[in-house]
Amino acid sequence: MKIPYYPGCDLYTKAKPLNTSIQASFKALDVELKEMANWYCCGTTFTLARDNRMSLIAPLRILAKAQKENGSVIVPCSICYNTLKRANFIFQEDAETLKILNEHLSENYDCREKIVHPFEFLRDNKELLKSRLKKNLKDIKLGCYYGCYLLRPQKEMQFDDPESPTIIEEFVSLLGATPVGFPLKVECCGSFLIVNSPDAAIDASYRILKNARGEGAEAMITSCPLCHYNLDTLQKRIAFKHPNFKSMPIFYFSQILAIALDIPPEYWGLEQNKISPADFLKEHNLT
Amino acid sequence: MDNINKDKYFVEKIETMSNQKIADCYQCGRCTAGCPFAEFMDEPPNRIIRFIQLGMKEDVMKTQGPWFCAACLVCQSRCPRGVDIPRLMEAVRTIHLRAKEQILDVDKIDKELLLDAHPLVLMSALYKYSY
Repeated sequence: MKIPYYPGCDLYTKAKPLNTSIQASFKALDVELKEMANWYCCGTTFTLARDNRMSLIAPLRILAKAQKENGSVIVPCSICYNTLKRANFIFQEDAETLKILNEHLSENYDCREKIVHPFEFLRDNKELLKSRLKKNLKDIKLGCYYGCYLLRPQKEMQFDDPESPTIIEEFVSLLGATPVGFPLKVECCGSFLIVNSPDAAIDASYRILKNARGEGAEAMITSCPLCHYNLDTLQKRIAFKHPNFKSMPIFYFSQILAIALDIPPEYWGLEQNKISPADFLKEHNLT
Repeated sequence: MDNINKDKYFVEKIETMSNQKIADCYQCGRCTAGCPFAEFMDEPPNRIIRFIQLGMKEDVMKTQGPWFCAACLVCQSRCPRGVDIPRLMEAVRTIHLRAKEQILDVDKIDKELLLDAHPLVLMSALYKYSY
């Protein structure tokens, strides 16, 4: 099976581990993620000002390109997924905007491209995934962190329930591990506030990590590079502020998937983590 | 009371930019209750909305509250009146940015952060904080 694949900029720079682990994992499922030709940045966070059509140019071009490939496009980065899906919603609802942009860009996009997250693909191909699992992840308690971008706004994302989603828990259960849902799994990690108001992001990440630990999580998985950055990198500063804080390794969901499929460690990309998962992996005989 | 409805186009402008009807809000305060960053704001989200409802332009443009909105959309998903509050915050931010008032000075971004942070983090911050 060949599926069009949109990695996004971050997966080529700081979120490389997400890229290598998802590509290798899907290969093990006999699914080739075929990278779209000449893709570019989606524009990161979706612009909320409705009198600004500039921010829709990049998504329209990407989706028009995706349409020329065969099938729905797979987008693993939560932010790209959110931006493309929200832009697509506008194209579907607002014929005038679609027409203006199509004319301006000499494209012929008909707004029918489907944008799929790997979580959705794996949910819809459960049996395939089950048949390829090699490592037993039993007894591993993984915090399932959604963040904002996958879920909200629900009307446009149509991903899962915005307050009590279960798709990541189902994914973790499929791998044989124990999912840990916790009340703050849908709360914001602080996002880009880290740049200008670091205290706000540190507090938000602390609340989430503490909540997950309290519910029994030993490690956390996410699909958002921004959440991964905040939750992983900020632990050093959290520990400085809260001496009793116990750190926790943060994984991309695809890294855990790669481990479960017994893919060689060079594809996991765990050496980039600020909080080393070495002890955690050793404890569970996964190295 | 002097600040009320001084600029009659202000409310209209916010409503167009955000595509929201400001009168829809009945001030239940659920947005502020769920906002992860309300404690950092000098004026919480529901008060900023009240300012807009009353056309209190000066107060809206003075508060630092909207800069703490990460557009996480928790308030939007919980609002019983279907008001998209982050769009209102973005409208206020956008008015500032279009008037060339930014709160992020690129030269002053923490050096360690510049080396460390994902391009996504920096790009998002630049979009939201600078013109």
